[in-house]
Amino acid sequence: MREAPRKIGSGPKKIFKAGEIILEVRDLVQAFGDRRVLDNISFQVRAGETFVIMGGSGCGKTTLLRCLIGAQKPTSGSIHLFGEDITRMDPFELDRIRLRFGMNFQFGALFQSLTVGENIALPLRHHSDVDSSIIEMIVKMKLELVGLTGFENFMPSELSGGMRKRVGLARALALDPEILFSDEPTSGLDPVMTAVVDQLTLDSTRKIGATAVVVSHDMTSVFRIATRILMLGNGPRQGQIVAEGTPEEIRKNPDPFLQQFVRGEADGPIPLRMAQDEYLKHLLGDG
Amino acid sequence: MKFVVNALRRVEGDGYVTLNARIYSFLLWGLTNPRVLSPSLTLRQMIRIGVEALPMASLVALSVGFILAMQSSTELGKLGANAFIPDLVSLSLLRELGPLLIAIIVVGRSGSAVAAELGTMKVNEEIEALKVMAISPTRILVVPRYLALMIMLPILTVFGNCVGLAGGWAVCIGTLDMTSSFYITHAVQRPELWDLYSGLIKSVVFAHLIITIACYQGLGVTGGAEGVGRATTASVVYSILWIIIADAALTGLFFFVL
Ligand SMILES: Nc1ncnc2c1ncn2[C@@H]1O[C@H](COP(=O)(O)OP(=O)(O)OP(=O)(O)O)[C@@H](O)[C@H]1O
Ligand SMILES: [Mg+2]
Repeated sequence: MREAPRKIGSGPKKIFKAGEIILEVRDLVQAFGDRRVLDNISFQVRAGETFVIMGGSGCGKTTLLRCLIGAQKPTSGSIHLFGEDITRMDPFELDRIRLRFGMNFQFGALFQSLTVGENIALPLRHHSDVDSSIIEMIVKMKLELVGLTGFENFMPSELSGGMRKRVGLARALALDPEILFSDEPTSGLDPVMTAVVDQLTLDSTRKIGATAVVVSHDMTSVFRIATRILMLGNGPRQGQIVAEGTPEEIRKNPDPFLQQFVRGEADGPIPLRMAQDEYLKHLLGDG
Repeated sequence: MKFVVNALRRVEGDGYVTLNARIYSFLLWGLTNPRVLSPSLTLRQMIRIGVEALPMASLVALSVGFILAMQSSTELGKLGANAFIPDLVSLSLLRELGPLLIAIIVVGRSGSAVAAELGTMKVNEEIEALKVMAISPTRILVVPRYLALMIMLPILTVFGNCVGLAGGWAVCIGTLDMTSSFYITHAVQRPELWDLYSGLIKSVVFAHLIITIACYQGLGVTGGAEGVGRATTASVVYSILWIIIADAALTGLFFFVL
């Protein structure tokens, strides 16, 4: 009795050719209490795309990503990943799907008790019979990709925030996933490293043919990598899709909310300041 | 068997019973494929949870040996029955105080550490990262700790019993004019094998309670550093509570029913 997925990607599976729908979200609702953080979200991602999800802080991007990777059961709606509805799967079936994608967490989520090298090696060790000398080589390669050559033996606590994020990305890429989910991979990085990480995302999609679903609100980076963009709203439009389209369509979209976000302006329809009487009411209570 | 294992691995939810079911599914699987039990991780945990608790456990056991001998000498001395002190020390250690006190030391030292460690990993999204990589946290985090404690607590208990007996011996020799040979013969001859076994059965049950409660509390942490603190406290409180309840139940079972 051996562990089900011994070899990486063993077992019958459909290979998705560029342009086929690899991820489809239908009427996704995620509510916490009576607050709907995601409200009837539907979209599709095709194989080979770099799909960017953007939106203001707290609008539900991480929540959406958590639903997509099966870390959270949505309140309602369906998510078809590789053609199978993951919202109806039990943990055992989910594991089979999880071998096919990688997730780069917003805050790295590195294992604090393992070195950087061991962090990246863990999925390889666990899911394959690959020789440890080869694993060591793969680890070196992945670290080189994210510009961290020679940091194998560092502990995560000895790294800066940006370095941790890059280790997280290297770990997500360890099993050469078919889909890379990446939660704000470039926030906290300097412009050069941002470009490196963007290039990496592009390489994994354009060269290897994988698909990337990236959360980002760094506009330069978004327009550099995206083949399609989904903009989630916040405030009064919490949980709804504000716009969806190619970078060109997003640039031309006249929606003032979207334009304020794209240009990064403080004044606009995104409500940051309350009107004076509203503010007073808020401070003093309704009475 | 494979069917049972796979069925258990499909169980959802994070309840205490589910956690136990998952642990047992991996142990069952481990019978045919020892790799599942991560021997190297288990060994590391045996050292951390078990071996490093030795000094503290010895100190406590030694003190208990002292206390038992001294307390009993005041009353038994009045009856001129000091000769029974070795019997009393060894019986109470083997049957009751050894398993109980060592378990309580391990709760405070290792149970709380496990709860805090797993809790911090939970807060840090490490547990979630494992799940997303299709690596079962139960398998690589819980099972090695479970095995380590199930093996180490009985061993610590036997060790603690010996140290406690030595403590009793020191009092008897030092203050009661007993000869070493008298003490040793009595302390070793009086208990039957069953007295030792009943104590060891208790310590196995305690180990199960300590580690499952600690892991359950640790993996259930919500709400940041404060949550970790709460889980650590809860794991200690509930472990001690359930250990004492289980102790009462087992003592009743061993000495009245069996
Ligand atoms: N477990 C939870 N319980 C209750 N509310 C939650 C929970 N998780 C997220 N939320 C709420 O959902 C909203 C969206 O959170 P999310 O983390 O998805 O934001 P985000 O878009 O990723 O923001 P950021 O860009 O700052 O990372 C937040 O307002 C938050 O309060
Ligand atoms: Mg986020």
